[in-house]
Amino acid sequence: MSDALEPGKVEETKPFKSKELEVLTGPVGLDIGTTNIVIARMKGTTYYSVKQLNAFFEVPKSNITGKVLAQNDIMFFSRNGQLFIVGNSAEQFASTFNADTRRPIECGLLSPKEDDGLNVIQAIIKTLLQPARKQGEALCFSIPGAPLHTTTNVLYHEAVIKRILQGMGYNPLSVHEGFAVVLSELADVHYTGIGISMGGGMCNICLSYLSVPVLTYSIQKGGDYIDTMAGNSLGEPATKIKIIKEKGLNLLKEPKNKLEISLHIFYEDLVVNLLQSIQQVMATSDRVPRFAKPMPIVLSGGTCLPTGCKELFDKVLKNIRLPIQISDVRIATDPLNTTAKGALIMAMSEES
Amino acid sequence: MSVPVLIFSADNIRGRIVLKALKHNGIDARLFGNNFELLDGLGEIKGHSIVIFDTKQYYSGFAPYSCEAREFEFLDSLRVSHPRCYVIVLSDASLVPMFIQKGFQTDLCLSDPLDPELICLKVKEILFLRSRAYLRIGMYIGVLYHMLFGERNNPYIRFVKNLLLSFALLLSVVLGLVGGFIVWSLSDLPKIQMLEEYAPLESSTLYSSDGEMLAELYFERRRFIAYYKIPTHVKDAFIAVEDARFYKHHGLDFYRLMGAAIENARAKSYVQGASTITQQLAKMLFLKPERSLTRKVKEAALSIQIESRYTKDEILGLYLNQAYFGTRAYGLEAAAQTYFGKKAEELTVGEAALLAAIPKAPSTYSPFKDTQKALNRKNLVLKMMLNQGLITGSKYDEAVAEPLPSYTPRPHYKAPYFVEYARANLEKIYGDNLYTSGFKIYTTIDYKMQEAAEQAVTSGLSRGLDDKTQAALLAIDIKTGAIKAMVGGNDFDESQFNRATQAMRQPGSSFKPFVYLTAFKDGLKPESTIVDTPITYYSNNGHTAWTPQNYTRRYYGTVSLTSALSMSLNAATVNLASKVKISRVIETARSVGIKSEIYPHLPSAIGVSEVTLMEMVYAYGSMAEGVKLEPRFYERIVDRYDLSSEASSQSGQRVVSQQAVEAIREVLRSVVENGTARAAMALRKPVYGKTGTTDDYVDAWFIGFDDRLAVGVWVGKDDHTSLGDGKTGGAAALPIWIEFMKSVQ
Repeated sequence: MSDALEPGKVEETKPFKSKELEVLTGPVGLDIGTTNIVIARMKGTTYYSVKQLNAFFEVPKSNITGKVLAQNDIMFFSRNGQLFIVGNSAEQFASTFNADTRRPIECGLLSPKEDDGLNVIQAIIKTLLQPARKQGEALCFSIPGAPLHTTTNVLYHEAVIKRILQGMGYNPLSVHEGFAVVLSELADVHYTGIGISMGGGMCNICLSYLSVPVLTYSIQKGGDYIDTMAGNSLGEPATKIKIIKEKGLNLLKEPKNKLEISLHIFYEDLVVNLLQSIQQVMATSDRVPRFAKPMPIVLSGGTCLPTGCKELFDKVLKNIRLPIQISDVRIATDPLNTTAKGALIMAMSEES
Repeated sequence: MSVPVLIFSADNIRGRIVLKALKHNGIDARLFGNNFELLDGLGEIKGHSIVIFDTKQYYSGFAPYSCEAREFEFLDSLRVSHPRCYVIVLSDASLVPMFIQKGFQTDLCLSDPLDPELICLKVKEILFLRSRAYLRIGMYIGVLYHMLFGERNNPYIRFVKNLLLSFALLLSVVLGLVGGFIVWSLSDLPKIQMLEEYAPLESSTLYSSDGEMLAELYFERRRFIAYYKIPTHVKDAFIAVEDARFYKHHGLDFYRLMGAAIENARAKSYVQGASTITQQLAKMLFLKPERSLTRKVKEAALSIQIESRYTKDEILGLYLNQAYFGTRAYGLEAAAQTYFGKKAEELTVGEAALLAAIPKAPSTYSPFKDTQKALNRKNLVLKMMLNQGLITGSKYDEAVAEPLPSYTPRPHYKAPYFVEYARANLEKIYGDNLYTSGFKIYTTIDYKMQEAAEQAVTSGLSRGLDDKTQAALLAIDIKTGAIKAMVGGNDFDESQFNRATQAMRQPGSSFKPFVYLTAFKDGLKPESTIVDTPITYYSNNGHTAWTPQNYTRRYYGTVSLTSALSMSLNAATVNLASKVKISRVIETARSVGIKSEIYPHLPSAIGVSEVTLMEMVYAYGSMAEGVKLEPRFYERIVDRYDLSSEASSQSGQRVVSQQAVEAIREVLRSVVENGTARAAMALRKPVYGKTGTTDDYVDAWFIGFDDRLAVGVWVGKDDHTSLGDGKTGGAAALPIWIEFMKSVQ
């Protein structure tokens, strides 16, 4: 896989160019998630963000295919006699061929199954972000917290992405995904609280005290876990489950069918797992300070989008006693862009 | 004044938490990850500093290197090298006691979990104290603002709270101590009910049988006067000077207390007291005269109790009966007697003012000690009476003009030897009550006879006898044994030794009647005969020979017993004693009242065994009627409640037959008519008696009686030296006897 890190080996690229972002300069916030890659920048006092699906679709290389793709503004690159269609286009192609896209990230970290995962990520980033105008421009990218109950290390993941970004002329700085959520959403409480990024592959949790990330970790369960478990339970493909979930699952309403029942069950299971992990980690840490006031929990990421997710947290919290008092559970203002925004805030603070 | 804050933590997260918390509270701090950096940081600081030392990762990091040994090494060195550094230790709870034991400030040793707020508070407290913010009014306004609108955990609020709490605690402790002290002080408070049985120490008085006061016996000279008998102007005098608001307060006078406090503060010394009359009474009656807070508390409590139980007049009465007026006079009545020789009821305004002036300092204001001071204070009292409207202007002028009493030496006891004799005997019966219970003791003394006796002794001694010569006289009633007169010596002040009752002297020939009485008891008669001739007598072992000789060295051969006694013939008397046996003579002497030891040898027949005058007089008195007499010195005793007890006057036992009495009277009469006491014929009435003279005229006696009295006179010297040639009983003692008998006829 280390070969993939060599940018020279990408034979051809048709990058997507965002006209909005072309004019933007200054610090960059980058969220490399299991599902999406999101870029955030500032224009004046307004945040701007763009994203691409963090997926690819591989087709055999031919001249015709290449020309067609190029004419239709489809992002791709060729390598080893294959064309790698990346980003949002990959999903279109996949549905055309009635197949699933592939992901370079699995459970929040670079997927060891995909040899070209890193090239895919690099290609997607390049579609969203031009190289730094000046060497050493501030860029903050999100990384997952160390997963609980595994020996998986995030260092490799962090280091290789850092190399890509350094190659683009940036001065990359990593920020924990959960902490990025705190930075994005908890300014009103002096960045004190619990930020949870509920992504596709994992959930990242950060307990922050006055902008100090006291505890950061992740659990390798997320939206994909719900889909897979529900699909397994019902004998349905996970993709189908995902589509139904994203169409408008309402956790406040009574489930109407088996599928909804299973989604309710595994959503609750995820939330219970999440809060139990917080309980467990806090109990075993000697870093958790005594908090004078109750603190909020803020939720972000695509998995917290279904209606009633907040209420589900409230409900589970009644049964799980955390060592700290929780004032309220919040859903981030823009859950899909929260991490990138938090990373941008971090980048801006670094630059200043 | 800013104090740098340094944080040390090997755990970056923990360190940053503290750092952020401090910054969030507006406190700048620096975070160090290792101790070398920290020491460098401290090295730049000259004054005070605060180090927040997180031991968490530090000690666990060193654990492999024997954490035990190195545990406090760094912190210890920090304390030594930076003594002005406040160290806040953050550690595991289990380590906190060790840090405290090592001398780290307890409230600066904080255990896990990390408490950023508490750390900030501690830092703020230190900064607060070091910056002396408590001296700024703005701080207190800020505290007030924070208490009302702001955060409650502001360290200034904590400071003020602690301040208030400390004050409240201190106040509680002080109140507790004061309360405890008062309770403790009152725990042994005397029962005020004791006043119901109030009986002041009152002196006892001895009177003669004819109503003359002989003496007072006392520890404190005191006579009780009922409060309603005390004249108003006398009460007013005391109230004016001691307690002007007496009728207005309830035991304690707070107005006066404050006034006195102000006066004392002005004078910077104790110039004015605030004790009310009730307080003074409480002190006098129940408390020791110590100057202590305990006593003051008790005094106040007792005063309130007294006030609630008694009327003002009763309280004033008790006070006036209890107060000390100097010259051993306790109570108003005794004082009136002492200073003015009158009753309290008779005191004038001026006299009352003088008495009211004394109790404050009896030794200073007594007119007998310092007339000027006494006069000044008396006038002050009068002025106060005038100012308070208690007397008119004219009364004031009149009282001011009254002269002070001059010192008159207190009269001595009358019949002092008798009084002392009576006192000693009464004390055996009544103990200390004799001096405190106000007895009136009516004695047997006939004061006219006593005066006659004293006069007779004085004039008797003035006739050719030197200054060292003493004389004693005792007169008793032969019917009752009552002592009617007693003189124990020339001068009681000079010598209290009572020669009538205490002096053991040889009676000489005055003992002989007991030999003759023995003979009469054996049936002999006055006209019976005995041989008067020198006879040598040997002691039982034959070693000692004794030949009694007559005073004139003349021997008359066979003589009647009457002649033998009237001429006081020693040879005949010893011969008679040897015939009746000396043991029987002694027996006779005992039966009539001789109690002293009599040697069971013939010389005792002519009075060589020592006896007292009192024994001799009572023995003669017993012979006079034949009935045994016992000394009797009082008729009755009346206590303060007017209950009296009579002296027992049981009729004496007949110890001599009437026949023997007649015989002894006959021979004793012969002594007067024909013998050594012929001078007594001058009395022109039948009197009976016997002279006595001892060798070298050491003792001269005459004991005799008439139909009423038995009277004995002894003349001699305390050192048993001779009175001088010719100073026989007839020459030295008999004249006194005659003069006395003449006086009392």
